[in-house]
Amino acid sequence: MPEKRITIKATRYDPEKDEKPHLQSYEIPFYDESMVVLDALNYIKSDVDGSLSYRWSCRMGICGSCGMMVNGTPKLTCNAFLRDYWPQAIVVEPLNNFPIIRDLVIDMEDFMHKLKSIKPWIIRKQEIPLGAGEHRQTNEQIDDFRQFSQCINCMLCYAACPVYGLNDEFLGPAAIALARRYNLDSRDQGLKQRLPVIGDSEGVWECSFVGECSVVCPKGVDPAKAIQQTKLDTTMRFVLPYGNRE
Amino acid sequence: MPAGWWTRKRHYFLYVVREFTALPLALWLLWLLVEIKRAGDGPARYSPHGSTAFVVFSVIVLLFALYHSVTFLSLTGVIIRVKLFDRPLPSGLISLAMFVLWAVASVVIGFVLIWFGR
Amino acid sequence: MDFESYDVLVVGGGLAGIRAAIAAVEANPRVKVGMVSKVYPMRSHTVSAEGGAAAALRPEDSYENHAFDTIKGSDYLADQDVVEAFVREAPVEVIQMEHWGCPWSRDPDGKISARPFGGMTTWRTCFAADKTGFHMLHAVFQTSLKYPQITRHDEAFVTKLLVEDSRCVGVVALDMRSGRFDAITAKSVILATGGLGRIYAFTTNGNICTGDGMALAYRAGVGLKDMEMVQFHPTGLPFTGILITEAVRGEGGYLLNNQGERFLKRYVPNKMELGPRDIISRAMMTEFEEGRGFEGPHGKYLHLDVRHLGEEMIDRKLPFMRELGREFVGIDIVTDPIPVRPVQHYMMGGVDADISGATPMAGLYAAGECANVGLNGANRLGSNSLSECLVFGAAAGRAAAEYASSAKPVTANPVDALLWDEARRVEVEFLEKKGGDERIGAIREEMQREMDTGAGVFRTKEAMEKLIEQLGGLRERFGRIRIDDTSRTFNTEVTAAMELDFMLELAQTMAVSALAREESRGAHARRDFPERDDKKYLKHTLAFRREGARPRLEYRDVRITNFQPQARTY
Repeated sequence: MPEKRITIKATRYDPEKDEKPHLQSYEIPFYDESMVVLDALNYIKSDVDGSLSYRWSCRMGICGSCGMMVNGTPKLTCNAFLRDYWPQAIVVEPLNNFPIIRDLVIDMEDFMHKLKSIKPWIIRKQEIPLGAGEHRQTNEQIDDFRQFSQCINCMLCYAACPVYGLNDEFLGPAAIALARRYNLDSRDQGLKQRLPVIGDSEGVWECSFVGECSVVCPKGVDPAKAIQQTKLDTTMRFVLPYGNRE
Repeated sequence: MPAGWWTRKRHYFLYVVREFTALPLALWLLWLLVEIKRAGDGPARYSPHGSTAFVVFSVIVLLFALYHSVTFLSLTGVIIRVKLFDRPLPSGLISLAMFVLWAVASVVIGFVLIWFGR
Repeated sequence: MDFESYDVLVVGGGLAGIRAAIAAVEANPRVKVGMVSKVYPMRSHTVSAEGGAAAALRPEDSYENHAFDTIKGSDYLADQDVVEAFVREAPVEVIQMEHWGCPWSRDPDGKISARPFGGMTTWRTCFAADKTGFHMLHAVFQTSLKYPQITRHDEAFVTKLLVEDSRCVGVVALDMRSGRFDAITAKSVILATGGLGRIYAFTTNGNICTGDGMALAYRAGVGLKDMEMVQFHPTGLPFTGILITEAVRGEGGYLLNNQGERFLKRYVPNKMELGPRDIISRAMMTEFEEGRGFEGPHGKYLHLDVRHLGEEMIDRKLPFMRELGREFVGIDIVTDPIPVRPVQHYMMGGVDADISGATPMAGLYAAGECANVGLNGANRLGSNSLSECLVFGAAAGRAAAEYASSAKPVTANPVDALLWDEARRVEVEFLEKKGGDERIGAIREEMQREMDTGAGVFRTKEAMEKLIEQLGGLRERFGRIRIDDTSRTFNTEVTAAMELDFMLELAQTMAVSALAREESRGAHARRDFPERDDKKYLKHTLAFRREGARPRLEYRDVRITNFQPQARTY
């Protein structure tokens, strides 16, 4: 049987040479049913064209490096199997809604600033000393925020969010989900410090609930849920007399 | 973003449809205000607008309104968190409760309107 | 020329590096800390750790037990004073992580829970479901954002340590985005760059685990300790090498051969699935050799079976394993056994460092997997490494901050010249390289294959001598590499070439160190010398670089305090 082959069309862009990004086509052997899009890129880089640039590391869906647009949908390429596309060609592009640094590499500095702006750490009015041991917390209390703590910062949700695409001031799905993760943590007392950022017009209220962020999330974080829950919470705080509780 | 971004995905398309269905709804509500204003002149001089076109328009708007209500109430199950004996209530139950409340509220309002309308 | 200058510079943004950065700031709030990492910190390979972090927190446990398990696990190659300090600090660090938001799984009373783990005699592995490394890394990284004293240089590739008067005063780093070479100077430098698994073809390690810090120190003249000690984890998924956590066995999973038999009863009858990794990996290889493995499209494998644990338990304790099975293999571990085989996982060897992370070079510290502080000896126990990152990351951070407070400031003059020289070197050797015909991918793949064969689970003199010869050939071919990418912007081909350069160097130290250790101890299993030899080899190997020749080896006695070496049976 002749070896199966598959065509990968990858975005190429070198700001030192190219005016704008363009697609380059590579036909490569599809030699193993377990191959994923990332394996195809690695094959290209290793054996065909060493100048193709992209990020990757763990190849097990946990480091969050290898998010790209695969046939127009944001995906972790380590988890996008060639067999699901073959014999059609696969178009691999950098994540939507971000500036491109080079080829498939996006500029995500904006997210790094937004992540910091929501104060993603435990805030206590009074720190307890290490000698006093751990805070008591039940598994049920962890269940309150467990889902939102699964975010790997892969940026797929930002690539899927048209609101972010139209207005990059929007705090965005992952940052809000992580803010909610801390706000729901029984050890945390920092809600009031985070409210000015998440309750802002560029925070949860910029979201018009497209819901695509939750569709593309590879870790089941459901950022759309985090955002709508936060909208409800902030409204309740505003409306109810006892809403301003800690 | 390209102008046609919302045509690329079913989800985007449904979202844009949901956003735009608000416009005919608003129009219909404006019309309702006009009708109320006219009704203020007393029953003798009032005749409701009843052209076929308007009835068809109203039916379409009703469907839009139902679409909004259903999507909104389905969402409640996701965003409202109620704990009973330290266990979160299943989201399906919360949504169901919302739909039941909606139905009850509709019946009550309908009843009140008809009762006082007589 | 302008350059950034810090009191403490951390190279590497994983658990050990970030812990060190925070420790430095907390030791002295006036300390200015820089952190340079070739990836965004949350991409660091800590993220892939699954099972947990060991700490003697429970009332029925004791420091002595944890120390003994660790020392016995190390096949008595651990420095016992280091182990004793480690077991005392580990619980404090686990609590510290709890205060920083790590969502540790809990006991019903709300305290941090623990699970059994290989080679540990009691339940002492604290865990956050089966994504412990992920949760710890994100918790510590996000916590680090609150310290204004910490400045990050993300996606900057360190090419060389700056050394002035045999003192480390910073690094030269290639900023990936701009392609600019920067001198980042500091009064003290902490290496925390992680492991080197990518030297092997079949590894659990991510693409970034290329031993950079070890090679940087080695080139600066610092010795590499116990480089023959490489851990093979018993349970990796065939083809990808994705790790299936030891916690699967900790929670009660069985290892089965093609007869459906729990074959470990012939190897570690008292511990069964909770035996240490080196012994279980060898047992699995023996099963393969004796024809009791399954044959698959990606080679031989055995079954790891959790079907008897039930869906509820799997979803609470091992949800990520179920996800990995579903997403990457197309099986549901609730109803299907998991195909597994031994896979390169961890490097016990590393930069020679002491109990506070200090290396023999003034101003240079090392922590985490890239260091060898003497904790793991010839075989690391599962779940000791996350704790090691915390304990020795913190120790190195404090020591480096202390050193910086009394050290002379770095002078600009030699740094400028060193930066210029280094930038020129990389340009000549890589960026402007012309006329080569060797693909770096081809050399890398061959190195990985050779290492799998020559420096794998079982070793022989013949195979290792052949390996050393092959590595020499690869080094020679490396001189004729071809670089397609001429851009300065995010040139990942040049960084991959520099990583390969590092790995070829390290592979040689591993093979040479392994060849010289004529005994079997822990993970270093010689077919030609199957017994442990305490008379000759109760010693650490130290490898030093020599230009154009095999590394020079030295030996240093293991420090023994309370636990005399005895036969290691389980």
